[in-house]
Amino acid sequence: MEIFNIKNLTFTYPLKETPALNSINFNVSQGEFITICGKSGCGKSTLLRHLKPQLTPHGKFSGDIMFKGRSVNNLNLRDAAREIGYVMQNPDNQIVTDKVWHELAFGLESLGFDNNIIRLRVAEMASFFGIQSWFYKSVNELSGGQKQLLNLAAIMAMQPEALVLDEPTSQLDPIAAVDFLETIKKINREIGTTIIMSEHRLEDVFTMSDRILVMDKGEIIVNDAPQAAGIKLKQMGHEMFFAMPSPMRIYAEIENDNNAPLTVKDGRNWITDKFKNINITEETDIIHESKEDVLIKLKNIWFRYEKNSADIIKDLSFEVKKGEFFCIVGGNGTGKTTALSLVSGINKPYRGKIDINKKYKCKIGVLPQNPQALFLKNTVELDLLEITPDKDKVHEMAEFMGIADLLGMHPYDLSGGEQQKSALAKILLLEPDILLLDEPTKGLDGFFKRKLAEILKSLINQGTSIIMVSHDIEFCAKYADKCALFFDGSIITTGTPKKFFSGNSFYTTAANRMCRNIFKNAVTCEEVINLCKINL
Amino acid sequence: MSFKTYHPIVNFIYFCAVIMFSMFFMHPVFLGISFICSLLYSVMLNGGKAIKFNIIYMLPLMLFAAIINPAFNHDGITILFYLPSGNPVTLESIAYGIAAAVMLVSVIMWFSCYNSVVTSDKLMCLFGKIIPALSLIFSMVLRFVPKFKAQFKVIFNAQRCIGRNTSKIKNIIKIISIMITWALENSIDTADSMNSRGYGLHGRTSFSNYRFDGRDTFAVIYMLALIGAIITGAYSGFLDVRFFPSVKAAGLSPFYAAYLLLCLFPVIIDITEEIKWKYLISKI
Repeated sequence: MEIFNIKNLTFTYPLKETPALNSINFNVSQGEFITICGKSGCGKSTLLRHLKPQLTPHGKFSGDIMFKGRSVNNLNLRDAAREIGYVMQNPDNQIVTDKVWHELAFGLESLGFDNNIIRLRVAEMASFFGIQSWFYKSVNELSGGQKQLLNLAAIMAMQPEALVLDEPTSQLDPIAAVDFLETIKKINREIGTTIIMSEHRLEDVFTMSDRILVMDKGEIIVNDAPQAAGIKLKQMGHEMFFAMPSPMRIYAEIENDNNAPLTVKDGRNWITDKFKNINITEETDIIHESKEDVLIKLKNIWFRYEKNSADIIKDLSFEVKKGEFFCIVGGNGTGKTTALSLVSGINKPYRGKIDINKKYKCKIGVLPQNPQALFLKNTVELDLLEITPDKDKVHEMAEFMGIADLLGMHPYDLSGGEQQKSALAKILLLEPDILLLDEPTKGLDGFFKRKLAEILKSLINQGTSIIMVSHDIEFCAKYADKCALFFDGSIITTGTPKKFFSGNSFYTTAANRMCRNIFKNAVTCEEVINLCKINL
Repeated sequence: MSFKTYHPIVNFIYFCAVIMFSMFFMHPVFLGISFICSLLYSVMLNGGKAIKFNIIYMLPLMLFAAIINPAFNHDGITILFYLPSGNPVTLESIAYGIAAAVMLVSVIMWFSCYNSVVTSDKLMCLFGKIIPALSLIFSMVLRFVPKFKAQFKVIFNAQRCIGRNTSKIKNIIKIISIMITWALENSIDTADSMNSRGYGLHGRTSFSNYRFDGRDTFAVIYMLALIGAIITGAYSGFLDVRFFPSVKAAGLSPFYAAYLLLCLFPVIIDITEEIKWKYLISKI
């Protein structure tokens, strides 16, 4: 049975010339798991909002959206609220009440169920989602991942037929994100709820989905099963192909059929088979020790927040050279962000020494985890002028960051990637020698990540040192000069990305996990593809 | 396990009754009962903290109230001595001052008990039944305040990172101004989330975690019986007291016992539960 039929949907926002959605056609069957992907600003959210009558944006609309054979416009609000669930990006803003149990009951209260039914449904959901242990907590005590899980559970308590999710994991760290996606899969598999989700974490989602819709400039350009969708993108030469899972990208470069592997396991089997009788020639990693001066050196640093609390940083030592891109990876709550605050001088260690090279000014710029927190004014331009009154300098910087056309906008109206760039512009106006970045790639799509990498590269060429804390292994592997693994308050190992990631078996890139028994030093997709081509 | 775990209505009736009675009855025996019971219960609930609070704040307050009355009130027939201003200090006005001080302190102590027993959840359950919208607003405020505070800290730290002096009023005002924008901006998301979960549909109910069971019925009957008895006693003049011109209080009556049983109700419950628990444990 078909649950959604979308016919010829065209939609234009007020005061805009070009339509945000252009003759969209697709059907969704009951119980299907559909992933919508595309660059930010391609119309994913606009499309998803049309599937939920309460959230449909204002504007010029034509076409038909049918839900279970009825037009959504004729759906009464009660049915629309109950049968179509909608989860948004920001975990915090969706939560209405102060207690977990109350949030779970919120939708059911609105629908007017009595106490006994609500108690049963809430209990059911709490058990299904494993919420029992924090059922009575205040919502502000929860982690981001728990909050998003709560939002999902609160919607599932209303027993919807279809679940619409708009980039639900973009604000979560990788471990919480995978947890969340597994839960979505569980809902789809065990309850049979239809899932329509937009997502840019495609490595994890691809194997779960029944069908992939790829959008570009308001149109659906690919609508197919995951494997076929990847091949089609490759044939079209579309840049979204770079967002596909690594095994698929490597395969598609080597072979020309439709059997591309989606998981690391399948990819590994394929590549082992392929290179069974071939001697591998591989260049060994030549380490160029940079001869630049050391800018900042941390020696045996210890830190705790309060006198009687536990140590957060334990015997931490590392050094960063001029023009070096130093990445710190590691799990949540291991003290990475605290380490940055020590370098920036917001917190002071109680033991150990931070040496700063006297030859340079060593001005430190910090980009916080939430770039929004840097903005204070009504337009981006005013915000940048806050740092320096020199208008030419501001415009030059805007040009360099590619935000010249955003100067007149309110910082809060920008997308995640645009906010990141504007915030970075603000920091760079301070002309720092050392730039500290706290998870700058969080919530960015592949396209923006490449843009960010270009900017960081040109900064390094100008001699700026960068210390970045990140969960994004693929990003670090590709662009860093040095990577370090942070665990339990200090750095366990440091090395060049090649040496570092090929030495780890779990904390490494998908491409490396797939090819490690064939190529010893290949870390990124590009390196693997290159080696494949040389050796075949 | 304890009085705290009873249904919010039981808690609420109890505190309404004891606080009202403590304020209206000036009979010395009743004041004494109320004072001792509230002291006992507040110490049971809050432990050492309550003792410290009572000694540091309640004792001086009590002395102050007891002294201030005879200094300004000169009624009464038993004159003890004369003040330098020529006004008499009377036994009756001292007695009245002490009574008023005891009353004041017991009411405060009852409120401190109320605070730790009737939590915001319970209050919401009570008012959710009567005015669902009000209880939702209350809950949303409790959600909003910590969220606002957390974001303020985030922005505050971010501004320190870019070298802004955050102790300057000018910079604080800037932060507050952007916080208001932030709050409005985010409330759009929250409104969407409420809307998409059917807020505004006709016939909204209010869910609460509390169930009214057998022991709650018993507790309500027990309390209503005692309250009824005490009010009857008050109407028939068994609780009357007169301070001026001379002190005269109604004599011993069974209503003392009724009031004691009412005030001690949570203490009795908590202690019997404790003994029962110990007994059950010892049998294992």
